[in-house]
Amino acid sequence: MRGTVYLRRYWQLYALLVLPLVYFIIFKYGPMWGVQIAFKDFNFFQGITGSEWIGLDAFREVFQTQDFYKTLRNTLMLNLLDLVVSFPAPLILAIMLHELRIQWFKRLSQTILYIPHFISWVIIGGIVYQVFGTQSGMINNMLMALGFESVPFLTEKNTWLITYLATGVWQSAGWGTILYLAALTGINKELFEAAEVDGAGRFKRIWFITLPGLKTTIVTLLIINLGNMISIGFDRPFVIGNKAVMDYSDVLSTYVYRTGLESGQYTLATVVGLFQAVVGLVFILGANYASKKLTDESII
Amino acid sequence: MMAASKKTWGKLAKLTLVMLMVGTAVLSGCSSGSGSSTNASDGDSGSNDGKQVTLKVEIFDRGNTPKPYTITDSYLTRYIQDNFGTPNNIKMEFVPVPRSEEIKKLNVLMASGGNVPDIVFTYDTPTFNRYAEQGGLTELTDLINEHGPNLKEFLDEDAMSYGQYMGKQFAVPGKRAFLGKYSSFIRADWLEKLGMDVPQTTDELYAVLKAFKEKDPGETGGKVIPFGMTIEPAQYDPLIWSFIQPTTEEQKYTLLQKLGANDYPTLLPGFKDALQFFNKLYNEGLISRDFSLDEDKKQLTQDVTNGLTGFLTEDYPNMYYADGTYDTLLKNQPDAKLTPIDPFTNSEGKHAKPEYAPNGMYIMIPKTSQHAAEAIKYLNWMADPDNLLALQNGVEGENYEMVDGIPVMKTDAPQEVIDRLYNSGDIAIIANGNFVGDETQNREKLTTNFPEKFQDLHRKAVEISATDTFKPVNFDRPIEAEAKYGTNLQAKYEEMIVKTAMAKPEDFEKTFEATMKDYMVSGGQAILDERTKVYQEMQSK
Repeated sequence: MRGTVYLRRYWQLYALLVLPLVYFIIFKYGPMWGVQIAFKDFNFFQGITGSEWIGLDAFREVFQTQDFYKTLRNTLMLNLLDLVVSFPAPLILAIMLHELRIQWFKRLSQTILYIPHFISWVIIGGIVYQVFGTQSGMINNMLMALGFESVPFLTEKNTWLITYLATGVWQSAGWGTILYLAALTGINKELFEAAEVDGAGRFKRIWFITLPGLKTTIVTLLIINLGNMISIGFDRPFVIGNKAVMDYSDVLSTYVYRTGLESGQYTLATVVGLFQAVVGLVFILGANYASKKLTDESII
Repeated sequence: MMAASKKTWGKLAKLTLVMLMVGTAVLSGCSSGSGSSTNASDGDSGSNDGKQVTLKVEIFDRGNTPKPYTITDSYLTRYIQDNFGTPNNIKMEFVPVPRSEEIKKLNVLMASGGNVPDIVFTYDTPTFNRYAEQGGLTELTDLINEHGPNLKEFLDEDAMSYGQYMGKQFAVPGKRAFLGKYSSFIRADWLEKLGMDVPQTTDELYAVLKAFKEKDPGETGGKVIPFGMTIEPAQYDPLIWSFIQPTTEEQKYTLLQKLGANDYPTLLPGFKDALQFFNKLYNEGLISRDFSLDEDKKQLTQDVTNGLTGFLTEDYPNMYYADGTYDTLLKNQPDAKLTPIDPFTNSEGKHAKPEYAPNGMYIMIPKTSQHAAEAIKYLNWMADPDNLLALQNGVEGENYEMVDGIPVMKTDAPQEVIDRLYNSGDIAIIANGNFVGDETQNREKLTTNFPEKFQDLHRKAVEISATDTFKPVNFDRPIEAEAKYGTNLQAKYEEMIVKTAMAKPEDFEKTFEATMKDYMVSGGQAILDERTKVYQEMQSK
């Protein structure tokens, strides 16, 4: 009886959830039906249900491929380095922005910092070649004009790594500040004022008030990032990478693109996708568990 | 306050509901719409003669359709409707597929079953083999015998054999008018300035490149690129093939690796020497430093037009288009001379280079198609010389004039007349290039399409591209390992070139070993084994 009264009163809230639910069912759960082709010899014309079961043959094949391990290693390596380099960047940037007092300057800087996020990687790739090319890149032209040796930013694997990480920071750091800035507005202003009265300097205030206030956000983002450790976007390594640095730039997503889509081996591509999903799940649960133990913060 | 917010909530909820209902209505509208259209096409499939049928034909969309046309409604589509469709009571429908993602889109269309066009095509051999192997294509022998007399005559048996899979005719291959592929080009004005002769051998070319580098005859201020290089076959292929030793028939069959559309000489004797030479050129600063980044020849074209590049190899026609590379170079440097030459020589002193297979694209009829007969009738209509002439060259007197049996395009025709033919190559799918008569006439026709001031140069490039060529090797059955590993190995092959070229000379040996090993375990060995086996089977027959 109470249930119906409750429903009659709040049914709108439930109705609002219908659209997102439908979205998830159609676009997230529906496609899971297709995961079965990882265990089938997928034939185009017979469709998913008509294809023959092959058990774990495709998994065996993938796990015997040398390229699979190379791309897996690169995926983990690029993501780990990204975590080390790109994860703190928005945090530092957000704290710096937070300390600014002149509002118009703060807004202006924020806007400027957001812009790279809206540029597609294809265009960034073009810019990167123009700027970092060995023969006709802007930076190398300047270096050579000053009498230095040119630096192979894009064609030597270790320098390429730096270029890759730096463009990542440039592209995403500004956008990443949004969550931190939102969390910062939630910190009670009186804390800062009280600390100032007590004689705490700027760094003390950041250390004892700002950072603890951001702890939940940091941990949440860290867990999400760790969960994504095994999956990597396609555009960035594909566009910034090239044949000279394939040792580092060839990752799972580009490998799946080559073998799965370009050679039409959908079964193998699905196997790799499924593998990524399972490992990703383990990572995210592991990170969540560790964080619960260590800091009492968790997202699940 | 409370009341107001409650009201807003109510409004929001209503709005959501309305949106939901509209959404459902649209969805159900869609499904009922498609339902009725399937019914309609089912009705067609009864092929009772009185009723009009719809023939769906794939068409490449390159995003270059001039106004007022659209990709599905242009001069040529109307011409086909009026001259083939309407008289045969067939409604032509063209299904656009973006050129750049042709294979991906085609895969989706093929997998969708009922919605796939009746005529689809691709240049990609593995894709054709896969469709055929998985049983998705209509067998065409009987249909061609019944409905395709012109087609049979046009294609002849040699070209036709390229459309077979395991001895069965699963595709109508397009036919290539001219098989030449590559030519080389040099800045003749630089040679004159240095007082050097046109290089006739690889050694002479090397001396010229050295001189370009050291004496900088183009006055580029140290930016000279003696040999323009990219990571595209047209730039590295001619050089590599010139190092390949003379090979026996057996070596060709067993040691070549066909990746995608081309034969790769990875395992042939001489390949390593080619890479060694590459390494030398790179380390002495004779080829573009960033060639590994240039995957679309953009940088190369820019360097040539800016007068930085002294020598390059390219697809034979690519320099001489109106407003093309050479034209732009002339605008920057009016005295520049970019002349076709043929410098690479092999151990026999020949200018050996690959040529195209005689087939163009694979034109296929999906098994689900209800209109295979009409599809063949359409291709047969297209194979009629008069119709092909009209599709490729437009209207006599408006688009072209007949000169010595060759339709010469009128360059001064109004833009809207020229625009009629903007995608004639994608419409006349059975022909790759113009067929106007015999071999010489076909070649001359190629040349007449170029600006008059470049025609002599172009004629020379055409001739070079057809000198000392060798044909691709054709097995009577597909090599499965090539379909499986081809794309990946192409990347490995390019990686091998880039890495061995960019290695320090003392590291060359090590780099070559490592990349070759990687290539072999990634499928190279599997291809070698399968080709050897298939060759032995062919011999024992």
